[in-house]
Amino acid sequence: MFKFRNLAMLTAPVAIALTAWSCDRQPNAVAPAIGTPLAHFQEFQCTPFKMTGGGRIDYPPGTAEKNDPASHIYETFGAHVMSSGQRDENGTCLADKGALEWIDHRPDYRVGGHPLNLHATEITFAEVAPPPATDCKDGGAHWGGKLRVQNTGQENLDFEVWDCDDGEPGVGHDGFAISVPAIGYAVMCWDSHAEPTCILTGGNRQFHPTH
Amino acid sequence: MKIDTMRRAIRLAGLVLPMSWMAGSVAAQMRTANAQAFGVSVNTPTVNQTTPYAVLPAGEAMATDQGQSVDVAGLVSAQDAFAIVTGDADPTYGSDAVSSATLGAVSLLNGLITTDGVVAIANSTLGDGYVGSSADGSSLSNLIVNGTAVSDPAPNTRVNLPDVGYVLLNEQSVTGDGVSTSGITVNMIHVVLQQPILGILGQVIGYQTVGNIIVGSASSSVN
Repeated sequence: MFKFRNLAMLTAPVAIALTAWSCDRQPNAVAPAIGTPLAHFQEFQCTPFKMTGGGRIDYPPGTAEKNDPASHIYETFGAHVMSSGQRDENGTCLADKGALEWIDHRPDYRVGGHPLNLHATEITFAEVAPPPATDCKDGGAHWGGKLRVQNTGQENLDFEVWDCDDGEPGVGHDGFAISVPAIGYAVMCWDSHAEPTCILTGGNRQFHPTH
Repeated sequence: MKIDTMRRAIRLAGLVLPMSWMAGSVAAQMRTANAQAFGVSVNTPTVNQTTPYAVLPAGEAMATDQGQSVDVAGLVSAQDAFAIVTGDADPTYGSDAVSSATLGAVSLLNGLITTDGVVAIANSTLGDGYVGSSADGSSLSNLIVNGTAVSDPAPNTRVNLPDVGYVLLNEQSVTGDGVSTSGITVNMIHVVLQQPILGILGQVIGYQTVGNIIVGSASSSVN
């Protein structure tokens, strides 16, 4: 009898403690930068985060409206990045890992009769533009590295992306932009927003303020 | 006797309740994100092939597959097919999953159905007070079905194909309770191959499905 009672008395506090622990937020979550100047999408923090998702952009114009599908003026992609908020000796925010697959379906950008296909081979940096520093209310990020043009085999080309989670649903809110200077390629939408991202017409970007 | 029974019940509750609390806590943390996409799938008694095909591996955030030129048993040919899946299951901030399948020019059943662009996109999100799934962004370009142009078909549009079966365009099916789970599958072109069932006098008394051809499929789900 005593054994059963003692076991129950021991188990209950453990269960309560575990439950409370499971509800606790991660200690490295990003806190709003209270009291600091509002920054545009050129000011970043080196904090742990990850961002996942993908979808479709209809650029140009890159707004929330889909172009006529027959025009083939759209881009599709998948991308994720993860950073633990570490810096290298030069102060660059390091990315732990990530990936990018980008397909530009526009007729004018076809190479060898096929859609332009960019494939990241290395993600080297990732930094956060946390709310309210941007229009991305759930979180914004700037990251990049090296990629390969699958159509031509050109490798080790620097690229950078601007990544925006502006709430739910992702369509009509979230945004994404990419630039590959070495080949003069960019899908960026400089409108009234602080960041150059183009609005998703399909899919979602999801910002997680933890590693 | 009654007191002993009550004591036993209390002891049992003292043991079982904490365990159920723990089980509930663990379940709350076991978020999942599932995503899969494929360009072409043919399933008949003699052919069973899916390509290109991507499925989100457990613990990973992205997977891709592609085929520049796809031909499955002479039933489907497609150019520039890509399958991409991404997602993440986060016990604190929720789950998200996005999948996409895109294709260029596609021809099914010797040109019975043609299109020069397919986009299938599915996304599911759970967290921050939002639960939902959507196939927004999915589209078909210059679709011709049995000689007739079909523009921007509504979800689950059915077109009969004489002597073949029927096709479902922009086929969408949702799963989940919309509270703690949500999911969606979109198949942009789904041909159901059918054969007539004949009666003893040779008359058609019904049809049986003998195969399925799907072009441009994306699925996502979260909990």
